[in-house]
Amino acid sequence: MARVRFDKLRKVFGRDVVAVAGLDFEIADGSFVSLVGPSGCGKSTALRMIAGLEEPTSGRLLFDDRDVTGLEPRDRDIAMVFQSYALYPHMSVRENLEYGLRKRRVPAAERDQRVARIAAMLHIEPFLERKPRQLSGGQRQRVALGRALIRDPEVFLLDEPLSNLDAKLRVHMRAELATLHARVGTTMIYVTHDQLEAMTLSDRIVVMSQGVVQQIGPPEEVYARPANRFVAEFIGTPSMNLMAGELDEEGGKARFRRNGVTVPLPDSLTAAADARQVLLGIRPEDIRITADSGEATIPAQVAVAELAGAEKYIYLDVAGMQIIARTDADSPVRGGDRVGLHFRPDRLHLFDGTSDEAKAIRAG
Amino acid sequence: MTRSFRRSLAQGRTYLLVILLLLFVGFPLFWMLMSSGKLNSDIVRIPPVWIPFLPTLEHYEELFEVTQFGRWFLNSLLVCSLSTISAVTLGVLGAYSLSRLKVRGKELLGRSVLLAYMFPGVLLVIPLVLVFTRIGLMNSQVGLALAYLTFALPFVMWVMRDFLASVPVDLEEAAMIDGASRLEALRDVVLPQAFPGIIATGIFAFLFAWNEYLFAAVLVRSHDLQTLPPAMANFASAMDTRWGLIMAASTLATLPMAIAFAFVQKYLITGLGAGGVKG
Ligand SMILES: Nc1ncnc2c1ncn2[C@@H]1O[C@H](COP(=O)(O)OP(=O)(O)O)[C@@H](O)[C@H]1O
Ligand SMILES: [Mg+2]
Repeated sequence: MARVRFDKLRKVFGRDVVAVAGLDFEIADGSFVSLVGPSGCGKSTALRMIAGLEEPTSGRLLFDDRDVTGLEPRDRDIAMVFQSYALYPHMSVRENLEYGLRKRRVPAAERDQRVARIAAMLHIEPFLERKPRQLSGGQRQRVALGRALIRDPEVFLLDEPLSNLDAKLRVHMRAELATLHARVGTTMIYVTHDQLEAMTLSDRIVVMSQGVVQQIGPPEEVYARPANRFVAEFIGTPSMNLMAGELDEEGGKARFRRNGVTVPLPDSLTAAADARQVLLGIRPEDIRITADSGEATIPAQVAVAELAGAEKYIYLDVAGMQIIARTDADSPVRGGDRVGLHFRPDRLHLFDGTSDEAKAIRAG
Repeated sequence: MTRSFRRSLAQGRTYLLVILLLLFVGFPLFWMLMSSGKLNSDIVRIPPVWIPFLPTLEHYEELFEVTQFGRWFLNSLLVCSLSTISAVTLGVLGAYSLSRLKVRGKELLGRSVLLAYMFPGVLLVIPLVLVFTRIGLMNSQVGLALAYLTFALPFVMWVMRDFLASVPVDLEEAAMIDGASRLEALRDVVLPQAFPGIIATGIFAFLFAWNEYLFAAVLVRSHDLQTLPPAMANFASAMDTRWGLIMAASTLATLPMAIAFAFVQKYLITGLGAGGVKG
């Protein structure tokens, strides 16, 4: 097991494709960390640099206090699960599992023992003598996990390991991965574009966009206090509602204004704002819908109410913008209704400016 | 009814075509085999003797007793094996580099390989003679094998490059993470995927060398060291063409290739098919 430290790690492909613009953080020993971001943001490149498959343009990589930047993959004591699984097609499942042990000259008796243990743990004993092509997607996935686990590596890397599975199996394997991590306790670094996977599995998530880290933190924190507009929109489904408007003041009270609609803001939020043009953010579940459009509420019109099993998504028109609210499934609201909205004041997010990097304005 | 009739008609047409093609390709072979067993007087008789009533082995006996056929045959085997093994070994390594490593000017290099392959052999003979004379490789079997590399190596590289490119990079990366060096990953994981392609390519490289006449005739002069094609050409002289001898020698020279093809047919089909790698 090891702590992994990125020291200004950077990767540029060719002359000017900046895949990773500079990673500078630490992953605690034994933790489960996800790199998450849209496709092309540099997650795989970051992971491949940890594996030694991609040479950094600059910066250093340390396992504990050992500088591994220039080491070959085989000298790093890492294991990796590929999105494609990359099982050796001409070898049986047993040979696949054993390959790494053979390369490390583990004696036959111990190899058998370890194969037996891993096979039992992942429930793949019945397939040990089969070839990968004779296995289903889920079984291949287990073998790929097994091949990585069997070596008992210091760091365990996973690049979108679940994305080739169908939805149901994915949820199942997600739970198994969590159990597995709890059991083996190895440092795991997990790459995914699926924010839900990242949220459910990780101790900490690293949100990336265009090669740049946007925010690092425990999932709850990243969800509750996104650092900027990008994170706010990327984390959570449906995404956070964002409304562009102006900061304004009336009688010493700060408020947000857009097309004649005003939202009073807690004082704590506005103190730090520089710009007058801001984004107001509110998550769908933090909007309460009332039938009366009284004084304290924001008037809105319901476009569609969509039932999604245990809950309903209400698409609302507010001051010429569409926003989404999430309610219980038994909400009586229907398309065409005129309603009043109430935004939970402690759950309002305010962003300084309207660009992707617009910083969240924090109290204090 | 009409549909099944039409289908069998189409099938019949296909069979007819295949049979015609087989006759076209097979007849010379048949004639060669038959003539090798005929008495000299029967070979050129008109109307032709199709199948010798009492086949004779006299031409085969003469081949081994009077001529040095056995030695030439071994010479050919030696030279062709040497050039094929070196071409496949070097070619596969070269093709792997071209398909994987990040080298500057890789594309240009790749294209010049094709150019080297297409370069007509006739134009190479004179320069080769000059160079070989100077470095003492004239009249040597190693020299001849080396000369064969001028087409065998680019051929192997060109064909294998696409084969190796079709093997997923993930596989060897997984192997390297598992503890293999790059060469071990190539040996353990990549080559087994490309095996059908390697066999097919090797057979073709061997076949080219086996049938090659020009280099063999010019670069190796002494009788003892000669390979089959130029040696057999001597059976036909201005005075007299020894048809029986030629036919017997040709029959024997065809055998190794026929056997090789029969054995590796399976690989040839997968190997020359689409990419050759299955999930
Ligand atoms: N081998 C490469 N050569 C050139 N550009 C690359 C290479 N690998 C990745 N890139 C580029 O680097 C960026 C990040 O890629 P990647 O790390 O694969 O993203 P992600 O895994 O987040 O989808 C992309 O713009 C991609 O096109
Ligand atoms: Mg990726």
